[in-house]
Amino acid sequence: MRGALRWPGRIRKAIAAAVAATGRPLRRPFVWGVGAGIAVVLIFRGGNTITSTDSFCESCHVHPQATSSWIQSTHYATKSGTVVHCVECHLPPGGMAYATEKTRLGIRDAFGAVFKDRESFDWEERSQLERARNYTFRESCLECHPNLFPIELTDEGEEAHLHYERRSDELRCLNCHLQVGHYDPDAAKEIDFGLVEIADAEIFAAPARVEGFVDYTEFIPGTSVSFDVVAIPGGTFEMGSPGWEPYRGDDEGPVHTVTLSPFWMGRVEVTWDEFEAWYRATKAEGRTDMRQAQMSAPGVDAVTGATPPYVPPDQGWGKGDRPAITMTHHAAQEYTRWLSTVTGKHYRLPTEAEWEYAARAGTQSTYFFEGNPNQYTERRFWNRLFGADTEVLDSFVVHAGNSGSRTQPPSEVAPNPFGLVNMLGNVREFCLDWYAPDAYQDRAGGTAILDPRGPATGSEHVVRGGSFRSDPADLRAAARDRTRSDACRMTDPQAPKSIWWYSDCTDIGFRIVREMTPEGEPR
Amino acid sequence: MIEKKDGPSRREFIETVGLIGAAGAMGAMVAGCGGVGEQYADYPWPPLLDQAPDGPVLRAGLIGCGGRGTGAVRDFLSAGPNLEIVALADCFRDRVGSCRETLREEEGVEVPDEFCFDGFDAYERLLETEIDLVLMATPPYFRPEHFEACVDARKHVFMEKPVAVDPVGARSVMASARTADGLGLSVVTGTQRRHQANYLETFRRVTRGAIGDVVSANCYWNGQVPWWRERQSGWSDMEYMVRDWVNWTWLSGDHIVEQHVHNLDAISWFLGDAHPEKAVGVGGRWRRPSGDQYDFFSIDFSFENDVHVHSMCRQIAGCTNNVSEFVRGSDGYTNCVDKIWQPDGTLSWEYPYELDEEGEKIGPRPYRQEHVDLVTAVRTNSPVNEAYRTAVSTLIAIMGRISCYTGQEVTWDEMMESGLKLGPGRLAFGPSELVRAVVPVPGTE
Repeated sequence: MRGALRWPGRIRKAIAAAVAATGRPLRRPFVWGVGAGIAVVLIFRGGNTITSTDSFCESCHVHPQATSSWIQSTHYATKSGTVVHCVECHLPPGGMAYATEKTRLGIRDAFGAVFKDRESFDWEERSQLERARNYTFRESCLECHPNLFPIELTDEGEEAHLHYERRSDELRCLNCHLQVGHYDPDAAKEIDFGLVEIADAEIFAAPARVEGFVDYTEFIPGTSVSFDVVAIPGGTFEMGSPGWEPYRGDDEGPVHTVTLSPFWMGRVEVTWDEFEAWYRATKAEGRTDMRQAQMSAPGVDAVTGATPPYVPPDQGWGKGDRPAITMTHHAAQEYTRWLSTVTGKHYRLPTEAEWEYAARAGTQSTYFFEGNPNQYTERRFWNRLFGADTEVLDSFVVHAGNSGSRTQPPSEVAPNPFGLVNMLGNVREFCLDWYAPDAYQDRAGGTAILDPRGPATGSEHVVRGGSFRSDPADLRAAARDRTRSDACRMTDPQAPKSIWWYSDCTDIGFRIVREMTPEGEPR
Repeated sequence: MIEKKDGPSRREFIETVGLIGAAGAMGAMVAGCGGVGEQYADYPWPPLLDQAPDGPVLRAGLIGCGGRGTGAVRDFLSAGPNLEIVALADCFRDRVGSCRETLREEEGVEVPDEFCFDGFDAYERLLETEIDLVLMATPPYFRPEHFEACVDARKHVFMEKPVAVDPVGARSVMASARTADGLGLSVVTGTQRRHQANYLETFRRVTRGAIGDVVSANCYWNGQVPWWRERQSGWSDMEYMVRDWVNWTWLSGDHIVEQHVHNLDAISWFLGDAHPEKAVGVGGRWRRPSGDQYDFFSIDFSFENDVHVHSMCRQIAGCTNNVSEFVRGSDGYTNCVDKIWQPDGTLSWEYPYELDEEGEKIGPRPYRQEHVDLVTAVRTNSPVNEAYRTAVSTLIAIMGRISCYTGQEVTWDEMMESGLKLGPGRLAFGPSELVRAVVPVPGTE
């Protein structure tokens, strides 16, 4: 070799052995091949090291949450002074999974950096649980936290981790520890839910007096809370969706004729202000459910109140006039019972027929505005690729495309022809009826059915409308859904699980209706 | 003194064999955990040495100085060389005194005054002494709290079964067990069947397919009330109940938990450390002389794949007695302890007991063996922790009890989430409403 390449002794011996084994002299291209291979490995190793530093990540991820919230989090400001770096959570801990994910993210980020507008990303939306799961790996959590039962763990923590162990196929660490990597001041555990009254506001002494069948503003006595109620004229409409409607579900047919008596309906979904008024007023009245209350005092028609929520029920998104969420169907019904008591009017949840009639507001199209699901939906590749024109949709509905993955105040969108806001979006809405997929089957007779009600019994209730999380295909007036009591309380570690609050369902609220008696007077 | 050079001393021999055997066996230990019918590759633990290997002195403290606690100390002291008992704790001073007396007379051990503690908080002061290991034999009500304190104090533990009386307590022990794993502590519980050579050999054969897949099982503890105390003048409600603890549900968990847990643990073990999915049971009370417990329980447990297990336990004197387990498989059946039969009833295997001079079978000594196994685990630095699976067995028994008390079907999921916690809000001697507890009536909830 005449000293052109000075191989280390061991390699030289190995080469000599290879030469001896093959019986052929070592060729120069082979030598260069080995050298190039080593170089490639070194470059990759170096490249990997360079592209795995915090500063490399930060060079693109300049959005406000990323660095500052990480520095304020318990993974930077640790007790021991250890700093947990970006890639330690946002890539799997090692091996093939690490290489695959690193490559995937690398290609995606490089593409994004070149072709996408950084300003257009909604980082807050991406920090919500459903999205964060895709960028934060359970294996990475467990790499540093292999012991789920450290000596300092509280009793509540032990219960929660035993619960996790049994449901680790459904749950992620993030279900309960979403903010540990990026501090969110709004997510601090709220202990004053329902306890803070708005100061210096007018306290209503009496409920609204309503003369005749007109729109009015209801006042909740003893509070500063009011809400608008819209008079919905009676009428006849075609309920359900025709077979040709895009993205139609099998439970939406057959289309049948329904006539509805006049009723009133809340202009917007029940707000946190309204719902908190109930919580404040009734939480002291008892924590037993209706059945027990009646057993202890037969004949007493008691209104019951909720237990304190386990976590901030508004998810830190803000309360006020945003729609109330995370309550159970039972809690929503108790709210309407209480509201009826304090206002002297008969409020309740809408039947499914009332809901669809109100949502259609005299139209028979898929939406009460122009356009069809094929044009709006993100489920079509074409729309994803070139972007759908959702200007009309956006003006009427809070949905996945314009919500930032959270509820929005009702003022963000325009009302339907009846004057109702967000029937199709913002939050899905509980109905009074039990859900059955074949609920419409018996109704196809030709004659109009007056004020239909759902099945007499069932296990889950009807939920209608779309939410801030919905694709436009699910915002259709005829789209039907149901409660999912178990899935909505998946991380609730209590037994029995709370009858008042959903631990894992943030996109359902409700709106009230008020019935007319046959004489046109409130019952 | 003449030095013997012609071979290793007995002690050296035990040390050497012990260390090799224990380390080898435990190194190969398979952490078994699976569903019904899952086959184990092997079940090498415990190594069942005659005596624990030698090592630095291990100092133990005892919490719960009754008959079982005093017996546990003696078993511990006899388990190997260099084992000491240095501290005693009990609710009652006279119990500490009688235990101390027995140890002085029978073991020649003197526990000084300053290491004898009494009162409900005695265990806290015991844990402040310089001990390596804690023996726990209090009524099971106290176990979860005491066990957590022992783990937090980084002590190895021997604790009697059961390990709780309610779901909250059982889950607390599960969590503390996981914490103990993280700290490398060894915990042996009084589920003695798992320390008997005959049971272990039967189990090995069953896991290698001797009876095929398990299709059903039965277990029994039909006997009599072990003991009760007449209330003495001067005893407060609380003192009376704690002294009469084996008859009070909040203290013992009722006899299905306190006693029958042995059999339920064996069944859970033979089914692959499994737990039932649901239970429906009947039970009642007619004869019991004191306390608020039932006389009898009979429960249908259903495990995964609809494998049904019948559990029956009774404490009434003058009836047919039976303490046993029975597991039926697709290719045979076993009594779990020493025999395996073919489906047609032909005996296919029997455990080869050693015989004594009179030709009687020499049975295992599980009470002592538990301590040999614990000390071996500690001294070979091969941690073993039985707490979690004993908490599971305890919770199975609690599940059965709740079903019998209420008359309702009870699911495992409910048990893993139930907030049921028995006993007083605060422990103190004096009057207590619990003494007027009403015996549960099924069908009234």
